[in-house]
Amino acid sequence: MIAKLAWKNIWFKPLNTILSVVLLTSSVAIITTLILVEKQFEEKFTSNIEDVDLVLGAQGSPLQLILSSVYQVDSPTGNINYDSAKVWMNNPYVEKAIPLAFGDNYRGYKILGTTHDYLVKYKAKLAEGKLFEKNFEVVVGSEIAQKLNLKIGDEFYGSHGDAEEGEVHENYAYKVVGIASKTGKVVDNLILCTIPTVWQMHHGHEEIPAHGEEGHIHEEGDEHQKADLTLDEPNMEITAVLLKIRNQMAKLTWQRVVPQNTKMQAASPAFEVNRLFGLFGIGVTALQYLAYGIMLISGISIFIALFNTLKERKVEFALMRVNGARRFQLLKVVMIESLLLCVVGFIFGTILGRVALSMLSNSSEEDFKMSFNPYEFLWQKEGALFLVTLFVGFIAALIPAVKAYNLNISKTLANA
Amino acid sequence: MISTKNITFSYTKDQIFHMPDLYCEAGSTLLITGDSGKGKTTYLHILAGLLKPKTGEIEIDKTDIVSLSEKATDKFRGKHIGVVFQKSHFIGALTVLENLEMASWLATGKKHTKRARKLLEQLGIENQASKLPSQLSIGQQQRVSIARALMNEPKVLLADEPTSSLDDKNAEKVIELLTSLSKEYKAALLIVTHDNRIKERFINKITLI
Repeated sequence: MIAKLAWKNIWFKPLNTILSVVLLTSSVAIITTLILVEKQFEEKFTSNIEDVDLVLGAQGSPLQLILSSVYQVDSPTGNINYDSAKVWMNNPYVEKAIPLAFGDNYRGYKILGTTHDYLVKYKAKLAEGKLFEKNFEVVVGSEIAQKLNLKIGDEFYGSHGDAEEGEVHENYAYKVVGIASKTGKVVDNLILCTIPTVWQMHHGHEEIPAHGEEGHIHEEGDEHQKADLTLDEPNMEITAVLLKIRNQMAKLTWQRVVPQNTKMQAASPAFEVNRLFGLFGIGVTALQYLAYGIMLISGISIFIALFNTLKERKVEFALMRVNGARRFQLLKVVMIESLLLCVVGFIFGTILGRVALSMLSNSSEEDFKMSFNPYEFLWQKEGALFLVTLFVGFIAALIPAVKAYNLNISKTLANA
Repeated sequence: MISTKNITFSYTKDQIFHMPDLYCEAGSTLLITGDSGKGKTTYLHILAGLLKPKTGEIEIDKTDIVSLSEKATDKFRGKHIGVVFQKSHFIGALTVLENLEMASWLATGKKHTKRARKLLEQLGIENQASKLPSQLSIGQQQRVSIARALMNEPKVLLADEPTSSLDDKNAEKVIELLTSLSKEYKAALLIVTHDNRIKERFINKITLI
């Protein structure tokens, strides 16, 4: 009955209520979105660098190298000579080395030349078909297969480089032989083939692109070779190598030794990703402060609303006391009103935050091939947020509630 | 029934009100009159247990309410004392019927919807039950106040200037309803008033000097 009264009281002054709820909703929505984005973003980033201790690639920005070779979001720093890379790949400290060669794209999805180890690293199984063995056979990531509706046996032409509008390579067609299972990692948005596929696709290309053009692999060998190329072909170029290192010391020393002795660099994904989070962190923190600021304002708005109406409701409260209400019940009415506002604001905020996230997910999916899951609930963090919201309501209602508790009935009624 | 003995009250040290002793049977009516500033409303608040007197006893149905704790007084007042004020005040967010139900719920924990509807019917305002109090005329509001005061079938019904803001016709009607209903519900009716229109109607009178 007290709760019902509180509920009816809230809606008796709809404008006050809407103001408070809108403020609460927006702050909760911002915080919820931030919590989810931060968590899922970190999760995606860290899950992709599992088992990658160092990335070997052309010199340039180490962050760019990591972003391009591990996350497939930036253009590569350039190409490296496969023969000189092999020297490091065959080093006894290396537990596993996965070479990567960036080639064409198909409707904006990258076609990546690599080995079967790449699929093993991401724990991607084959949902259908078989692994790529011969040149121009490809295994398609689960999301691409779903979105572009690719099936085993389909053939398609790739466009040059990483631009969707690039020149179409029509001399060879790719053939889908397998579809990978869903992993939630970058591999879902890649088309994988053998490295010689990438070499051969650009072999015999009439117009030879300039040396060192980003994202483009081309070889300098015989232009009229007809036989299929293999991994043993000398003097070829690749883009990067993902390395898993046995020796802890080597992880550190290679970062220095490799650029000193070769034209390559060895970058640590863990280090670069931490640096990246550090940069994001400032923005996230600023947004968090903003959201808590809005929450503070909504607290003040609830306080003012309750305080203002208290004056006219003094008589109402005195009357309830005459009818047998105890002091504590009046305190409860005021408290429950404020907490109800907070609960309503929190529920709306949680929903709105997820709507915002799914919109954000759609655009980031298009731009970065990175999607967020709006249906994930982080009980611990969101529970803490719920408690903070309730606390704001509690503080806002404290003074009005105590005033209601201490109400002098006789005086109030005599002056009414 | 209600009776008082030696009630004194003071807001400040200089000024002490000596309230005359009174006695009123269940079902009968007692008028308390007096000029403004003589403490009529104060006396009513003391009788309702809203103010604690400095000395004295108030016995309502064999309970001395002066000796009760604040919490017990709240409970006792809710159950056994009904009050009608000069101006009617309601919980603005609740309908007429809900206001009555709330009065009963606060005192007894039960809504007693049937009794509320019956009272509204007796007062001739049953068709206003689902309106907000602010949508009613002043005369109608005063009748809802009476219904609310009677919701818990009190032993004592206190009315503070119940007619002063009403026109002759409504005042007449309200007094008639108060007396007839207090008889029916066997409540002692105490009316505090300086309204000359009703002074002549009652024999039992106390004047505060």
